[in-house]
Amino acid sequence: MIYLDHAAATPVSQKVLQAMKPYFTDDFFNPSAAYLPAKKVAADYETAKGTIAHAIGAKANDLVITGGATEANNLAFTALETELKLHSGPHRSLPSPRGSRAISRAAALRNTPSWSVNSVLYLETEHDSIRAVAQKYSGIAIKVLPNGLVDLKDLKSKITDETILISMSLVNNEIGTIQPLAEVSALVKNIRIDRLKRGIETPIYLHSDASQALNLLDINVARLGVDMMTLNAAKIYGPKGVGALYVSHDVKLQPISVGGGQEQGLRSGTENVPGVIGFAEAVCEAKEHLNGNRKKYANFKKILLSELENYELINKKHSLDNFVVLCYNGIDAERLIYLLEEQNIYVATGAACAASKGKKSHVLKAIGLSDSQIAGSLRLTLGETNSEEQIHEAARIINSVVSSEKERLRNG
Amino acid sequence: MDSSIETVRLGLAPWSAAESERSISRPLVFVGMSGGVDSSVSAMLLKEHGYKVVGVYMKNWSRDLPGMKCPWAEDLADAKRVAVKLGIDFEVWDFEEAYHEKVVEYMLDEFKKGNTPNPDIMCNQEIKFKLFYEKAMERGADFIATGHYARIIDGKLARAVDENKDQTYFLYRISEDALKHTLFPIGEMTKPEVKKLAEKNGLHNAYKKESMGVCFVGEVGMKDFLKEYIDIKPGEIREIESEKVLGYHEGAIFYTIGQRHGLYLSGVAGETNDGMPYYVVKKDLDKNIVYVSKNLNNENIWTKELVLKDVFIRGDAVHSRHFATNWERVNEEPRNARPLGRELPEANGCDEACREWTVSTRLRHRAPLIQAKFDGKKLIFESEIKRPASGQSAVLYDGEVCLGGGIIA
Repeated sequence: MIYLDHAAATPVSQKVLQAMKPYFTDDFFNPSAAYLPAKKVAADYETAKGTIAHAIGAKANDLVITGGATEANNLAFTALETELKLHSGPHRSLPSPRGSRAISRAAALRNTPSWSVNSVLYLETEHDSIRAVAQKYSGIAIKVLPNGLVDLKDLKSKITDETILISMSLVNNEIGTIQPLAEVSALVKNIRIDRLKRGIETPIYLHSDASQALNLLDINVARLGVDMMTLNAAKIYGPKGVGALYVSHDVKLQPISVGGGQEQGLRSGTENVPGVIGFAEAVCEAKEHLNGNRKKYANFKKILLSELENYELINKKHSLDNFVVLCYNGIDAERLIYLLEEQNIYVATGAACAASKGKKSHVLKAIGLSDSQIAGSLRLTLGETNSEEQIHEAARIINSVVSSEKERLRNG
Repeated sequence: MDSSIETVRLGLAPWSAAESERSISRPLVFVGMSGGVDSSVSAMLLKEHGYKVVGVYMKNWSRDLPGMKCPWAEDLADAKRVAVKLGIDFEVWDFEEAYHEKVVEYMLDEFKKGNTPNPDIMCNQEIKFKLFYEKAMERGADFIATGHYARIIDGKLARAVDENKDQTYFLYRISEDALKHTLFPIGEMTKPEVKKLAEKNGLHNAYKKESMGVCFVGEVGMKDFLKEYIDIKPGEIREIESEKVLGYHEGAIFYTIGQRHGLYLSGVAGETNDGMPYYVVKKDLDKNIVYVSKNLNNENIWTKELVLKDVFIRGDAVHSRHFATNWERVNEEPRNARPLGRELPEANGCDEACREWTVSTRLRHRAPLIQAKFDGKKLIFESEIKRPASGQSAVLYDGEVCLGGGIIA
């Protein structure tokens, strides 16, 4: 098997698995229980959280552990709810779903509420877990340039005194583009100062989904200037279903589940101890191999680009080296996926395919690709499972599959 | 690919692979591929027998309702994976709007009227053998094909060899024009043969779980689906004989005459002290009352006659040799035999003998065939049968040949 879809999922590393194991069996206690062995588990959990937090220059208490990145993204947007609560009153009431006249149950089930507030900006190339939640708050998309980077002019023009949250991923999950977050946070800082000057209380926060970033980037929340940041264990050789939201002290969020009051009361539910232990181990490993991996993937990318034939490279600049996004114009990339699958090579596409429920990639569209370019796009994301030998082999097989598909098309 | 299946047996005789290589234009066939094993094997057989095959996934419904997952994307992936493996072209044709208008709305309307419609029959009539057929023809197709278990014998729709899988019940209303250009490649095979052939040829979906019932309702059930679309009100369940209120229902449309499960009656669900179950015998939609009875002999449960509406008689079938005599008697003027798929003429001026048009009929998919007389409007049975729900179809056969049918009034 040659697995070239590490942006979708990564296998749990041996070290991570070993670290997690005891917490499924011997150290299974509920961290909230009174006796000493449970307290030890609680301490291990806190230490693990500290390890994760430390890796991004934060403290354990700044992290809310969640059931993955999507949940962390959803949690980040509850900052909006806080603002609405603070400002609800006779003159500005809590927005309610439109059309509050009595409607039938069936009609109510069909309608999704639309909010009247207009205070969220998000990058148009964000992951669906941001786009969907942003749309819930009538968010507005910020444009990207053809190179995938945020269009700062567009961003500036869209920020108003109403703007509460800007969400922009650090690394794009489809094309690997690294956004200039520090530049954006400097802008946000200026807006904050300007608002204070003018006596406007509305806060403005910068949130960043960094799910794809920890493998190859050295992240520091203070240096990046973000107020919230989403992390994801599943993309860095940790377990699935574990994520975290870094939250700076200035941001007040609302609980996404209530109950026993775990995670600073923001996400009640017994702690996923093995998951967080594994997450911490994965973070350590990622840090440790950061420099080696950068060189390795740069080399792999070079091999692919020189040995593959008749492609167009889509992510030419500003992207992580483990993302190689190609386009085979005139070819249906979904067919390539099924042909490659028969040779045990697993890749992804931005084409409108069954896996994307028939939707073409909004990211490739945003950077200006034509429909036929999108239909022919292949996303290869490199990772720990790959060897240099595999990369040569993959290039050879992809070439042969592409030419056989071209042959089929010619012969009708 | 496996060529051991005899060409002739499949009714695909005219073009052997060898022949097609010589000929300049192979016949072009668009095959509806659902992602299931039946349509996959159909496409495979057509390819193998020298046709130029284009696989088409008909996208009819792609909405996930809250709590209900529609597996269309998985089905599409399965269909395309097979098409790629076979090396044939593959397209997705979007019929979602038409499907909603022609099938879903029809279904909802029928339920609102208190009937129990069959959306699969409507889907074949309006989508697969109409829109799909027409679009394929526009694209220059010689044929369309599907993975239905059915046969075409001398131009007539006929039951499949695998009596257990025969799907002509769902096909009786498809147009004669479409049937002339239709191939059912697996109609001569049994389901186990189809699966084996799929496995032998490495089709990944050889043992895929069969989809049951209406695709968009999935496994959650019609009731939850209807609740999303139809405003329903709770109401009383009364005993028909005494008018006594025995319990309450969630909405009369959910109940079918003859039903005995799922009744919320006081005491043991659906039973009385004597342990006898209650049956639904009547629905009053205006008053929103469901009537039940424990009298098994209630006239609403049993009947010797069924009135059919929207009768659709297959012109291709009534010209059949066996049937011609009967038909001529009905019409008196055989040359003008009411052609192709029109409603049967009222049997005016017809003598007693001509009313006795003997058919075998199927009142449910896979239900046993029952002998009956048909007079163009009414089915008359020799002994009492349990009344099928209004809105379901009665499909008529003469031997293996499907004569058409009608919707139970």
